[in-house]
Amino acid sequence: MQKLIAALPAESELEGMLAHRPELQVRYRAFMQSVRGDGNLPPRLLELCRVRVAQIHDCAAELALSDAAAPLTAAEIDQLAAGRLGDFSDAEQAALAIAELLPYAHHQLDDAAVKRADELLGHAGCVALLTALAFFDVNCRLKLTLGVEATAQSLSTDHLV
Amino acid sequence: MSTEPRIPSAVPGQAEDFATVTAHTPETITRFFDLYAEFWQRGVVPPELKELTRLRNARITDCGY
Repeated sequence: MQKLIAALPAESELEGMLAHRPELQVRYRAFMQSVRGDGNLPPRLLELCRVRVAQIHDCAAELALSDAAAPLTAAEIDQLAAGRLGDFSDAEQAALAIAELLPYAHHQLDDAAVKRADELLGHAGCVALLTALAFFDVNCRLKLTLGVEATAQSLSTDHLV
Repeated sequence: MSTEPRIPSAVPGQAEDFATVTAHTPETITRFFDLYAEFWQRGVVPPELKELTRLRNARITDCGY
């Protein structure tokens, strides 16, 4: 697929493409800053979920990123891919159970899975989780559709997508 | 699919809906509505085309909401 050429130099290739609509890019960045940094969820839990959603989509551009604030080991990434979640915390496992279904099997997500996350993370944490998962899914779909290339980069407060 | 709200409203006295449940994360949802307003109310894609694709996407994802 021929990719959309970036409109402006930006922190990431996706942001450069979104800059064809600068007002949209600014708001998307502000929203993702809040998703990743509103304090309702531990950065490591978010990073585990982001990587798992990227694995499900087989999105190389998303998999090439890593969160410098919560880096995962290669072994942890392999565990995610293999569905071996026993070493992760209860809250991480509850979040990953939802992440597993959200991209392509959201109708299979049952009340018990959400209740478990709600109990472990609290109402704000659970809402933050579901919102983050939905937009990790969006980011993968955007990158795959737009033809964003895989470039190893660290996620930071300046570079979020 | 759930037939009952899975998370209670964050707004006292108001029933669960998208706005009152996501109000548990007020900063994030405020920015979401800001983004969504920009997407729906402005831009270069005609509103009719956006609505057509929104309905098609809702049908494909079987989202009655």
